[in-house]
Amino acid sequence: MNNENIIEIKDLKKTYENGVIKALDGINLEIKKGESISIIGPSGSGKSTLLNMIGALDKADEGHITVAGMDLMQKEDLSKFRLNQIGFVFQLHNLIPNLTVLENVQTPLIETNIPDKKMEERARDILKSVNLADKINQKPTKLSGGERQRVAIARALVNHPSIILADEPTGALDSKTSDIILELLLDIHKKENVTLIMVTHEHNVAARADRSIYVLDGKIKEEKINSTQ
Amino acid sequence: MKLSNSSIISLSEEIMKFRSLILKNIFRNKSRSILAVIGIAIGVAAVVGLGLITDDLTESAQSALTAGAADFSVINSTNSPSGSGGGGGFGNNQLINQATINQIQQVKGVSSAVGELRTSTNLGNSTSSNSSSSSGFGADFRSMTSIIGIDSSDLSMDDIAITNGTTFSNDNQVIIGQTAAQRLNKTIGSSIIISNKTFTVTGIYETGNFMDDRGIVMSLSALQNLTGDTGQVSLILVKASNGTDPTALASTIQQNYPNDLSTSTSLSGNNRMNNGLQVISSGAWAVSLLAILIGGIIVIVTMMKAVSERTREIGVLRAIGWTQRRILGMIIGEAFVLSLIAIVVGLLLAVGIVELISLTHLLRGINPSFSLLLILKGIGVALFLGIIGGIYPAYRASRLSPTEALRYE
Repeated sequence: MNNENIIEIKDLKKTYENGVIKALDGINLEIKKGESISIIGPSGSGKSTLLNMIGALDKADEGHITVAGMDLMQKEDLSKFRLNQIGFVFQLHNLIPNLTVLENVQTPLIETNIPDKKMEERARDILKSVNLADKINQKPTKLSGGERQRVAIARALVNHPSIILADEPTGALDSKTSDIILELLLDIHKKENVTLIMVTHEHNVAARADRSIYVLDGKIKEEKINSTQ
Repeated sequence: MKLSNSSIISLSEEIMKFRSLILKNIFRNKSRSILAVIGIAIGVAAVVGLGLITDDLTESAQSALTAGAADFSVINSTNSPSGSGGGGGFGNNQLINQATINQIQQVKGVSSAVGELRTSTNLGNSTSSNSSSSSGFGADFRSMTSIIGIDSSDLSMDDIAITNGTTFSNDNQVIIGQTAAQRLNKTIGSSIIISNKTFTVTGIYETGNFMDDRGIVMSLSALQNLTGDTGQVSLILVKASNGTDPTALASTIQQNYPNDLSTSTSLSGNNRMNNGLQVISSGAWAVSLLAILIGGIIVIVTMMKAVSERTREIGVLRAIGWTQRRILGMIIGEAFVLSLIAIVVGLLLAVGIVELISLTHLLRGINPSFSLLLILKGIGVALFLGIIGGIYPAYRASRLSPTEALRYE
């Protein structure tokens, strides 16, 4: 594996329903550490499946995938890998409604051995960095869509992951909030040198990443280096 | 592997966070949690409540049959087929000539032989008596009171222990069983009229036998005069001397009087009573098992529903790095906490129901009391229901594919 590459994917294939649906049909991709990538394509093209493979949420049928030095085809339980290396941001934020903002951000830390005080300290700091210091004791249901997504970003960052995987992070937001969230993600990516991979079907969002990958029918059809930085 | 102090502290803190998450999840859907608690509590209440009653019945019966100083009783053989045993000989039963007591006393191996006359009468709500003859006693079975005639020096042979006051010292005095005292509202110094004769209550006794505790004890001669059965007894209580096998002694006595007398040992009485108690106990367990089954189904259904509603959330937790074990622990933890709440609810429910039934006098003579074993049984049932009810939903939750769970609507 090239030292610069944090992700290396070779001829990755994934089918569903006994091979009838080819979700991924021979994906080859290399992503450098600290790079920002947007994966774009129509619904059902395989972009979310690819994201799930990188995030070790799903297993490929064939091919090779190495993420942050871990061969994801070999190991069965990848929970710890996800905990230490990946931060997920979902389209619908997926926060736990009965927990406060602060508690939601701390949920990944329950799997770690970080002491209670440090856990809370870290969650507070991250919430401050996403401008939610005044909302820590509120329940997600009391927050706006943009605020919820910022909590989700804080939760994704709390374990200091090396890769952030964002699946349509602005998909459920209005354009103004969408811009704020996108700026926040790109800002974190730059400041923390975190690799950012976003799945989107919005071209203007995709264009903000260093590189865009166009996926269609489970294959990478086009790669483009974006200049608008 | 050795754990440092700091790692133990951090582990306990991590557990603290996890525990508070479990507690928050419990109170998330209150109605569902209440339903699960009720399900488990029904099982606990059934086991403990029925256990309270059957345990006291067993204790009372065993006390009556085994704790008495007499090893066996001798009755008129014409009464034996009915199996009235040591506690029988009431009403129309044939009596034994009192002279037989001395004959039995002479049998080798007999330590003591004591005569006892038993009958019953209806004292009802008043203290007025009924007919004076032995056969006339006991006209109304619903509120029968046992009348036992035995000399005051021989009370221990029938396991009669004075708990309050003193024993009778003449033919105008009686002692009264504690259940009868409550039922007839009598205390020491009260007057009681039996068969037109007034007696003074000098003491209150307890036998451990709920039937005898409903009775009145007077001297043998007083009861013989009252019933007209002079020189007659209902049964002879026999105690074997040290080193003599009571069963063998009973056989010997029976062989000596093949046509007149039969013996009823505690052992045979015990067997009969045990069979009866076995039926009661089996019935109680059947009801309990049914309640446990219903409780178990309620817990499984409510926990399955809880897991199903949180499928997407479980997918998120898996995505952010929670292990299958952590998910399993969370759901079983929730079931465990529900069980702990249900233990308290179930025990209170059991005590409440038994107390309520006691107030209605349906359990007259039975004094339910908690034993550690019974409480442990209740706790065991709650934990069993909670854990069993939680295991399958927890297993299902932990096996959920994160991607499928995240897609769940």
